[in-house]
Amino acid sequence: MSPPVVEARGVTRTFPMPAGPVVAVRDLSVTIATGEFVSVCGPSGCGKSTLLHILGCVDTPSTGELLVDGRDVSTLGDAARSALRLSKIGFVFQRFFLLPMLTAAENVELPQAEAGVSRAERRSRTSALLDYVGLAHRAHHRPSQLSGGEAQRVAIARALANRPRLLLADEPTGELDQATGQQIVGLFERVHADGTTVVVVTHDPAIAARTPRMLSMRDGRIEDGGSR
Amino acid sequence: MRAKVWTFALRSLARQPGRAVLGILGVAAVGALLFDMLLLSRGLLVSFRALLDSAGFDVRVMAADAPAFARPRIADAETAAAEIRALPDVDEVASLRLGSAIVTGPDGGKHDIFFIGADAETRRRPWILLEGSDLGASDSGGPPALVVNRRLATALLLRPGSELTLRGDCTRGSATAAPPVRFRIAGFAAFPFDDPKAMTAAARLADFGRTCGLDEKSDADLFLVASREGRGPAAAVRAIRALRSDLHAFSNEEIVARFQQVGFSYFRQISAVLSTITLFFGFLLITVLLTVSVNQRFAEIAALRALGFTRRRVVLDVLAQAVLLVGAGGILSLPLGLALARWLESILHAMPEIPAAMHFFAFEPRALATHALLLALTAVLAALYPMRLVSRLPIAATLRSEMVT
Repeated sequence: MSPPVVEARGVTRTFPMPAGPVVAVRDLSVTIATGEFVSVCGPSGCGKSTLLHILGCVDTPSTGELLVDGRDVSTLGDAARSALRLSKIGFVFQRFFLLPMLTAAENVELPQAEAGVSRAERRSRTSALLDYVGLAHRAHHRPSQLSGGEAQRVAIARALANRPRLLLADEPTGELDQATGQQIVGLFERVHADGTTVVVVTHDPAIAARTPRMLSMRDGRIEDGGSR
Repeated sequence: MRAKVWTFALRSLARQPGRAVLGILGVAAVGALLFDMLLLSRGLLVSFRALLDSAGFDVRVMAADAPAFARPRIADAETAAAEIRALPDVDEVASLRLGSAIVTGPDGGKHDIFFIGADAETRRRPWILLEGSDLGASDSGGPPALVVNRRLATALLLRPGSELTLRGDCTRGSATAAPPVRFRIAGFAAFPFDDPKAMTAAARLADFGRTCGLDEKSDADLFLVASREGRGPAAAVRAIRALRSDLHAFSNEEIVARFQQVGFSYFRQISAVLSTITLFFGFLLITVLLTVSVNQRFAEIAALRALGFTRRRVVLDVLAQAVLLVGAGGILSLPLGLALARWLESILHAMPEIPAAMHFFAFEPRALATHALLLALTAVLAALYPMRLVSRLPIAATLRSEMVT
């Protein structure tokens, strides 16, 4: 079996609320191995996004351990977690979150510039990525000039900019029509086939059915497809 | 900060060009007012000092430390001036008599003018000769010499060589019975303390006395003293005080300091209060603009953080936006402030008896430095709250909230 990219051990995430604490993720353990393509599905409020945020190091578990590449990241400071996300984890959001004042190419260049990649290398990598997602001809268009599917493809190119080991996508087809959504899933399949570990949160069973492994969640727990 | 931070901040501002332009214009207006307040806070002092220094005399000697209208004259001025002149710290002493006279214009209209009697033996004069010749030590026959300011020359159609009759009106509150005296215009001069509407003439002390019908010919209203080079005014003042404790000697610096504490302090206080209010409005403007901008971009900032942007990086972006807004507005505020100062100066100079050479708004490099420093401080302070919002932004909660909304 391939070594794990990310591993959650006994993770619980509780949110303090005025009416009392809400447990979003409850004593959950899951391992995502290198090269996997995993979907996380379940009803609204079952903790899918919270799990994704924990796996992506943008949220910290209230209890339990999180290991990325075998290293416990629960105790890392903000700067170290940012550096980890920048270099090892790519994020794709439901609402794309492309910067509207930048072109598609500039949006893809942004994480690379942040990582200190040279301008020439950035240009070359960006060009290759936009070509990879089929948008080379839209490189100099701003997000407002792109369709939803095109914007999400640019967002995927941006997430892949620093060659992450793990690509996390939170409802990446939620804003798209079914046909476009299928194209985006097809793109994820291609990314996975090219060697990147992909975890997709979705409430669409049709999309989940296309992934080799599906984690089904309910009430903050994985009901099916947990630790392998 | 690295170039990419500035570029990113610039583009963040450019995405809302209307808001950015409003912010810059607001800062420009605030900066212009601030700049004017800084110029006003020391303007009178700087120009008053320049006026005092303009004739080259650096010490003033009076009979009493009292306002000019209530001040007694220096008695036996010739003896006092000679004693002071003999001091090793003193280079030159000029006696001055101040009064007024009545002249008749070509249309038969009468004009009240300022009339000055001055030593004609000194190298320095309390006026600056503009045209013609100055008062000599004596006249070789003919009417005595008179120098007049341009306004008087224009009103009475005078030119060097013209003749003018003065009726002295020099004693405080009582008319002079002396007969009018005919003078020859030797030249035109600028009198530093003239207000823009003043008509002024100056004659030798003896001719002043004759015109004013004065018995006490050797009295003086004021001694203008020039300290010897290398000794300085402070030494000259000390020597004069030691020699004549009955007289009151002040260096220009002391006079300026006294005005700074009393007469001009109001301008400083007004300037300080208005500067503070102005800066507060600038602070509010930038804080509101940046806070609104940051609030609208919470989800986007959270996404950037998720992509690996550090907290420091997104905070610096907000700071850079504040600096860019304030920097652009600050640069624009300088010409705006100078134009506003010129306009306000013309309004204030409409007040009577303000010397034309006196300026309420005087430019000094330190005003520019203070302006830049205060604006920079405002930019940083104004950015603190939105920076705090960004630095404390919970990434996951913000992304989750964006999904829900």
